[in-house]
Amino acid sequence: MPISKRPPEAYAADQAAIDTQLAVRDMARSFGETRALDSATLTLRRGEIHALAGENGSGKSTLIKILSGVIRPDGGEFMFQGSRARFASPYAAQHAGISTVYQETLITPEMSVRDNIFFGTDGLIRHQRSKSQEISGAHLALDQLGLPGLDIDRPMWTLSLAERQLVTVARAIVRPWQVLILDEGTSALDAHRRDRLFAYLRDASSEGKSVLFTSHRMDEVFDLAQRITVLRNGTTVATVDVAESSYSDVLQHMSGREQAAALMEETNGGSGEVRSAPSALAQRPARSGEPVLRVSDVTLRASSQPMSIELKRGEILGIAGLEGQGQVELVEALCGLSRPRGGRVIVVDDAGRDHEISSYRDANRRGVRYVPRDRRQEGLFASQSVFDNFAIASWGELNRFGILKRGAARKRYQEYAEYTRLVGSPNQPVSTLSGGNQQKVLLGRWTSMHPTVLVLNDPLRGVDANTKEELYQFFRSLAAEGMALVFLSTEIGELLVLTDRIAVIHEGSMQALLPTAEATNGKIVAAMFGQNPEEES
Amino acid sequence: MSELAVLPNDFVSSQRAALRRLSDRHAYASVPVGLCVVLFVVNLLVQPAFAGRADWATASGVLVPYLFIGMAFTLPVLQGGFDLSIGTLAGFMTIFVSTVLLPSGITAPELVIPLVVAFGLLSGTINGFFIVYVRLPPIIATLGMYLFYEGLGTAVLPEQGGTIPGWLVRLSQSYGPIPGQWFVVAGFAIVWLALSRTALFRNILVVGGDERAAYTAGVNVKAVRLSSYALTGAIACIAGLMLAALIQSGDGTIGAQYTISGITAVALGGISLHGGKGGLFGGALGGAVLFLIAQLLTDANVSIYAVQIVDGIILIVALSLNGTLDYLRRRLLRKSLAQSAVSAAVEEGQSGIRTTV
Ligand SMILES: Nc1ncnc2c1ncn2[C@@H]1O[C@H](COP(=O)(O)OP(=O)(O)OP(=O)(O)O)[C@@H](O)[C@H]1O
Ligand SMILES: [Mg+2]
Repeated sequence: MPISKRPPEAYAADQAAIDTQLAVRDMARSFGETRALDSATLTLRRGEIHALAGENGSGKSTLIKILSGVIRPDGGEFMFQGSRARFASPYAAQHAGISTVYQETLITPEMSVRDNIFFGTDGLIRHQRSKSQEISGAHLALDQLGLPGLDIDRPMWTLSLAERQLVTVARAIVRPWQVLILDEGTSALDAHRRDRLFAYLRDASSEGKSVLFTSHRMDEVFDLAQRITVLRNGTTVATVDVAESSYSDVLQHMSGREQAAALMEETNGGSGEVRSAPSALAQRPARSGEPVLRVSDVTLRASSQPMSIELKRGEILGIAGLEGQGQVELVEALCGLSRPRGGRVIVVDDAGRDHEISSYRDANRRGVRYVPRDRRQEGLFASQSVFDNFAIASWGELNRFGILKRGAARKRYQEYAEYTRLVGSPNQPVSTLSGGNQQKVLLGRWTSMHPTVLVLNDPLRGVDANTKEELYQFFRSLAAEGMALVFLSTEIGELLVLTDRIAVIHEGSMQALLPTAEATNGKIVAAMFGQNPEEES
Repeated sequence: MSELAVLPNDFVSSQRAALRRLSDRHAYASVPVGLCVVLFVVNLLVQPAFAGRADWATASGVLVPYLFIGMAFTLPVLQGGFDLSIGTLAGFMTIFVSTVLLPSGITAPELVIPLVVAFGLLSGTINGFFIVYVRLPPIIATLGMYLFYEGLGTAVLPEQGGTIPGWLVRLSQSYGPIPGQWFVVAGFAIVWLALSRTALFRNILVVGGDERAAYTAGVNVKAVRLSSYALTGAIACIAGLMLAALIQSGDGTIGAQYTISGITAVALGGISLHGGKGGLFGGALGGAVLFLIAQLLTDANVSIYAVQIVDGIILIVALSLNGTLDYLRRRLLRKSLAQSAVSAAVEEGQSGIRTTV
């Protein structure tokens, strides 16, 4: 048949098909009673970076697991590179060219970094790469991700959470990929490492590869993505062009409500210079401010300067810094998990007496509570129910002769779940909750005990934007009741919105201690890199 | 300019070497190796003829089945599973060789050995099928097999009897200074070392370490599980051959007692029952420890029942020691990593990060 007979629309359609890497239509999946995914629709173009947005439990991870061959859909279909695809296993998806970084940092702690990058590429018996190919491949990938010096023979358990997360990214990019999917693959990274990863993703997309990612950080989404697809309750409600929409549009699509979006716009306003939200701060009552926790001449490392901070009742102290500069050591010293090299951490009790913290138990007894960062490894009991995970810490308080007062604990749970809009039933195993909802459970466990000092290590990782805003309010109300909070975060904007003062740690020393009212994004970044924040113009 | 540049090179590399030592994946074996050495010395003290004993071939005959049993029990544990049927399967092999194969004229080693190994592979595959595809818990599935072989063994041969092929008898003799069984051990060691250089061994450790990580990374978890149970069956059957060589006949009741020994050997060998770390070497060492204890107490004329008491005590001591050493190792490793992190941070701070601001 002569080519000229074909109508011009056919060419356009062909062209569209060629430009489309992945087309998802009406994808659905249930887990028992839960309709995790109802009707998800999405197209991913060649060379595109595409964001998948949605509140906690909206089905993002479920969709991603289907595309990656981890689980099978109940309905709907997807086309990959022009033909219908249905992957029987993650191996099949990887073979076709879809590489995925999962939301949970899935690693084997006892095995080396190299093994953790390459396991799964082999056949049952045959290695796909020689040892030397694996070594050079691992080095190349880690270089690209900004971890050049990492010893690839180290066992994984010795790595920080951020490093572990980057190793799982390395695992994905050493496989030959056409589509890279990142399910909150940046949630544990600091600004510096995130920029490195973004640069890598942009390079790859300019070569025609495609990236699909989820993130609860709007600035990140708008910075990196060209288009955004929004899921709500398992259904695609919109796909928008970044150039033609705003934070509030997307947040509104996510929640289906209006007022929350306006709030977020204010807090995140523009991606560059993030300012504190004065309205929220001003509403807070003036506080008497007796000291509750005193960090006195603490040195974290051999080469670092001693630091002293006094934390007052009702105060929220932010802690910032690039990954691995000593923030975690500081926070762990505060709650007795590790002893600083020098100096003392002192809790002041109601009667004004000083008590030096000597151990984690001791800190707990004095009312200092710690919310760890890595929920999978440190915080949650995966096979236990949501409710049990929530109530476990209340045991000491809510028991009669060693038996939990379930009624009282239930009531506490109901209130908290409502407040944070926790999606899920109290009886399901906590590991079947969506990632952000797991984080809420962990948070609820400790806050419901009303400690004197609550030490939070990056507590809002994986929590969606609207809920974050509610949790900020929640933290503020805890502070207003007189609780002191220490808040370690990798997100500067969050610290500016929430805290009263911000301590910036650099190379184990406190580079700056700024009242938040005087702080700006630029000042904090300067201090994070070891410069004097006041010199920043 | 950079502080790190001032540090002597060999300081950095010695730091690296120390890290390497601390994170060595064979570190788990330190307690069983130590136990073996100590027990060996004590044996020498109690019975000075121990090292040069005339009946070394006889002693090896007792030791070698322990080694194989220990290794067989270890393999499924590494991938996060368990196999209870190893002992009675090995016991049944003595009957298979003496009362099934021999009467039908199959005696040549080049026939018997492949048949025995094939039997083990098949038996292990059946275990694996019920665990992987029918999703029975490993203990239940393999308990079924345990009972099956025990029953079959006692039905076919209620008491010790039958004869074994001549070459198997001669395995208990020495060739030069070397008892025959050690050739089997050496042969197996070569096969296993080759096998553990393939992807299979890493696949087994990943599946034992974190099944979800393994699956999502592309490991064929079912195939790995299935083949590890199959291999376990094969090792169990080699253990059975060694048992036949030891008792020079078939015996349907001999296998069961090796079940507890095998589990003890795994624990003594420093193998975590959670899976994901260790190696067959640990199980073999654990088997050797059991042998050395038995030998010591026999030489000291202590009753056979006391052996179990001592086994129990040593097991608990060894496990506590293992835990303590592991804890200390981890602490040391963490500490020296923190130190090197500081120097790395200094380095990075000087070269990379600042220029990017
Ligand atoms: N294995 C499972 N069993 C039961 N329910 C499940 C399972 N996996 C997911 N769900 C439910 O499906 C819904 C969607 O979960 P999913 O993990 O896809 O959400 P998400 O959009 O990724 O959320 P987040 O932003 O918190 O990561 C949730 O309500 C969750 O509880
Ligand atoms: Mg998710």
